[in-house]
Amino acid sequence: MVEIVFLIPLFTGAAAFFLPPKIGRLLLVLTGAVHLILSVMVWTARPAPIFPEYFALTPEGLLSLLVISLLFFLISIYTIAYLKASELWRETIFTGSMLLFLATMTMVTLSDHIMVMWIAIEATTLASAPLIYTHRSAASLEATWKYVLICSVGIAMALLGSVLVTVAMDVGNVDAPISFSAMAVVARQMDPVWLKAGFVFILVGYGTKMGLAPMHTWLPDAHSEAPSPASALLSGVLLNCAYLGIFKTNKIMHAAGLEGFSGPILVVFGLISITAAATFILKQTEYKRMLAYSSIENMGIIAFGTGIGGLGAYGAMICLIHHSLIKSSLFLTSGNILLGFGSRLIQQTGDLAGRMPKTFIAFFGGFAAISGFPPFGIFIGELLIVVAAFRAGHYVGAVFLLLSLCVIFAGLAHNVMKISFDPGDTPARITESASLVWPQYALLATSLVLCFWMPDTLYQTIKHAVSAIGGGF
Amino acid sequence: MIHAVDTILSLALLSILFSFGSSRLPALIKVLAFQGIVVSVVPLFIVQDMSTGSIVFTLVTLAIRGIVIPGCIYLAIKKVAIQREVEPIVGYHASILAGLLLIVGATFASHHFDAPYSAVSVLLLPTAIALLGAGMFLLMARRNAIAMVLGYIMMENGIYLVGTTFSIRARHIVEFGILLDVLAGVMIMAVILQNIKQTFDDVDTARLRTLKE
Amino acid sequence: MIESVLLWTFALLTAPLFAGVIFKVKAFFGGRRGSPLLINYFTLIKLFKKGSVISTSTTFIFRLGPIVSLAAAATVLLFMPIGGHAPVISFDGDVVFVLYLLGLARFFTIAAAMDTASPFEGMGAAREAYFPIICEASMFMILILFYRLSGGLTLAAYFSGGQPSGFWQTAGSPLLFVVIAFFIILLTENARVPVDDPATHLELTMIHEVMVLDHSGPDFGLIEMGAFFKLFFYASMVARLILPFELGHPALNLGVFSLGLLLVYVAIGVTESIMARFRMDRVPKFVLTSFALAFFATVITLEFLK
Repeated sequence: MVEIVFLIPLFTGAAAFFLPPKIGRLLLVLTGAVHLILSVMVWTARPAPIFPEYFALTPEGLLSLLVISLLFFLISIYTIAYLKASELWRETIFTGSMLLFLATMTMVTLSDHIMVMWIAIEATTLASAPLIYTHRSAASLEATWKYVLICSVGIAMALLGSVLVTVAMDVGNVDAPISFSAMAVVARQMDPVWLKAGFVFILVGYGTKMGLAPMHTWLPDAHSEAPSPASALLSGVLLNCAYLGIFKTNKIMHAAGLEGFSGPILVVFGLISITAAATFILKQTEYKRMLAYSSIENMGIIAFGTGIGGLGAYGAMICLIHHSLIKSSLFLTSGNILLGFGSRLIQQTGDLAGRMPKTFIAFFGGFAAISGFPPFGIFIGELLIVVAAFRAGHYVGAVFLLLSLCVIFAGLAHNVMKISFDPGDTPARITESASLVWPQYALLATSLVLCFWMPDTLYQTIKHAVSAIGGGF
Repeated sequence: MIHAVDTILSLALLSILFSFGSSRLPALIKVLAFQGIVVSVVPLFIVQDMSTGSIVFTLVTLAIRGIVIPGCIYLAIKKVAIQREVEPIVGYHASILAGLLLIVGATFASHHFDAPYSAVSVLLLPTAIALLGAGMFLLMARRNAIAMVLGYIMMENGIYLVGTTFSIRARHIVEFGILLDVLAGVMIMAVILQNIKQTFDDVDTARLRTLKE
Repeated sequence: MIESVLLWTFALLTAPLFAGVIFKVKAFFGGRRGSPLLINYFTLIKLFKKGSVISTSTTFIFRLGPIVSLAAAATVLLFMPIGGHAPVISFDGDVVFVLYLLGLARFFTIAAAMDTASPFEGMGAAREAYFPIICEASMFMILILFYRLSGGLTLAAYFSGGQPSGFWQTAGSPLLFVVIAFFIILLTENARVPVDDPATHLELTMIHEVMVLDHSGPDFGLIEMGAFFKLFFYASMVARLILPFELGHPALNLGVFSLGLLLVYVAIGVTESIMARFRMDRVPKFVLTSFALAFFATVITLEFLK
């Protein structure tokens, strides 16, 4: 009865549209808690799905599910305080959309059928569109329009790719259900030409959703215009879900022996994304956009690592998990900064260390974490990817990666120093209540702990997930 | 003589040309409705054995693609009462020539693929590829936001035709889910269009250029 | 051979009669009885009885214009299979020859117009030079299609013998688009509504009439006759396409052909009555439609043939 994990948020989300806002907030936290408990239960008990041809429990799906649950629970606690501090025009739409967003993302992690995954990913776009338009300004309308249009067109490309993959099955005269796990088994018999074409379209399509350049143009706008809890979900979780689609298709390519085709394409897209992020992050004037470009960079690193394979794939999975934790904490922190200073521009902020010290700790810690400093997890992930790149002989790629990482660190550091230490005198507009600060601490602490110690089931699941794409030690 | 499918498919291709050359939105919506109907009806002609479930599903697809989705956009237009004609990025003459090139390109491309239903009608694959390309062209060559949404719908119609042309097995529940997603997407786009009109008093996407870099 | 010459004479003699049908149709739509069917003959006789007034600023080109246009129009009818019968002259590639003969006539008309040094006529000449360019593209598209369908490059190969019916059987419904494209070309080349209004009195809105403003008397009569023949030529192509029946007896074929011609002329009259002249910048779009239809029909038909 695995489907209940996404059916519960679906119902509560639909209900939240009609209930009064106060009950909606309560519903948000309750659903988050129930979802977390259910996810842990799914991990330990591994129940069977009701519709096995559409849904299945895959290792990468389980990882993403756990990350989503933890993140949503902590974000929902933060959201309550955020909603109290800021005035939203139609809070019911916000809460309802958040819950539907959770439901659709959960569906993505659990889906195994190639078309059901498509339906779920398109549904995430639709469920998150109202979130971006929450503040109802002209800029947020533009961001919503770009988001919906670019992502829908991209996902239409992914639909075409999915159709081509099923054609590869028909042409190869393979009679198997169209689920990722079944296709990985019969992959050798599928027609390679159609499979390659399908992979390219799926990569372009889901890559649009993931934020790979040059299809990333919607990401900075959408992530900066949305309210901070939504940005945290968009950046921390949604990009993971899009990556899942690419990951599963890559698995099929590996099983078919075509990793020589899919690997280099992934590496190229990854490098383009990292370079694009590095180029644009230097000129940013808004801190949320800066964080969005950092997301693009991290997604590029993950794609790069997946493309290299071997140790790089393992590093990519580590990066994925830790990026979700750290980036969402950073976005929540940025929400505090917005509430405290009232502006998204870096110029209007300053002296975070003095005025909002608790937020400053989370902010600086998050900055160090996302730049790849130990003892946070991204350090290990990036290290493994660089080592794998050198081992595989991708010297140029590895050099590009390192250079871009330096540039991005410079850009981030410049702005973070400005926000934290520039002189400022007016006091912050909010008081840092516990629920506005503890979720970020919890997320950062989780990343810290996971860097040193992983429960064995977690470690085994990660290894199992990446072994299918040639990963592991 | 010509198979009945060929007649409606060639009319669909002609409607693509018409949509490129037309500057009026209601005409474009009618073209889109026609294309939606053609695309939904094709399986009735080419699939050998249709179960009752398939027929019901085809009729539902017809209703949604041919009536509900264009109706949504039409209501959106009526509510916002678009007054001014928005100059496109690529002019109408150039668009018609581009459309002709697109049809030729689609015809050439379809010769490289061996689709299961090619024997029934030689126009199936060119029409599918042409619809896909035409949708993308409308998306890129028009500044009017509504025309962009119509381009997206045309692309989805094309992908659906690719699906029915290429795949032998019918997987109805899944296709239904895809259809619902497209429908929901169109509805959300319609809502956004109304908001754009209210906020900017115009549906020219050149106004949506404030967020850069 | 004799029959071909007889048919050609029939074409020359009845062209003004068919053109009179257009006036009758327009009058019908206007609720009037209109001019008699033989009006054009009376007009021609009237014109030939008059004397010519020739402007002093013109040269011999001005007097050459009407003669060349009439000669060209009459010559192209020699190549046209009238009533489905073999034409008087036919050689391989005569289609291109015919088209460029008509182009020669147009060139001389334009030259004669510009020879008068009148600004109105120059304006009309510029427009007249522009619209037929796209027509030529459409015509060649249709010719390519017919060439691929029949394998020959003569008008006789396309319009006589078993031919347009053969096209219908091979190509089928895309040929309908060819008919529409042809009709649009007819309207453009012969300066009919919606490309040009033959009944307008305002020089600024004229395209074709303004070029012949300065001709008078017999010269104008020659131009009118040339126009009738040219219209007959285009109309006979459309007539053969829509009624491609081959009934065995030449007289019956001629009857069916005349019926087809009547239908085409009535269609021209109906178009003139229900449509208004397009704004000048919409006319290229209208003609481009014919190119698009012809191109489209070609692609579709050749697709089927492969």
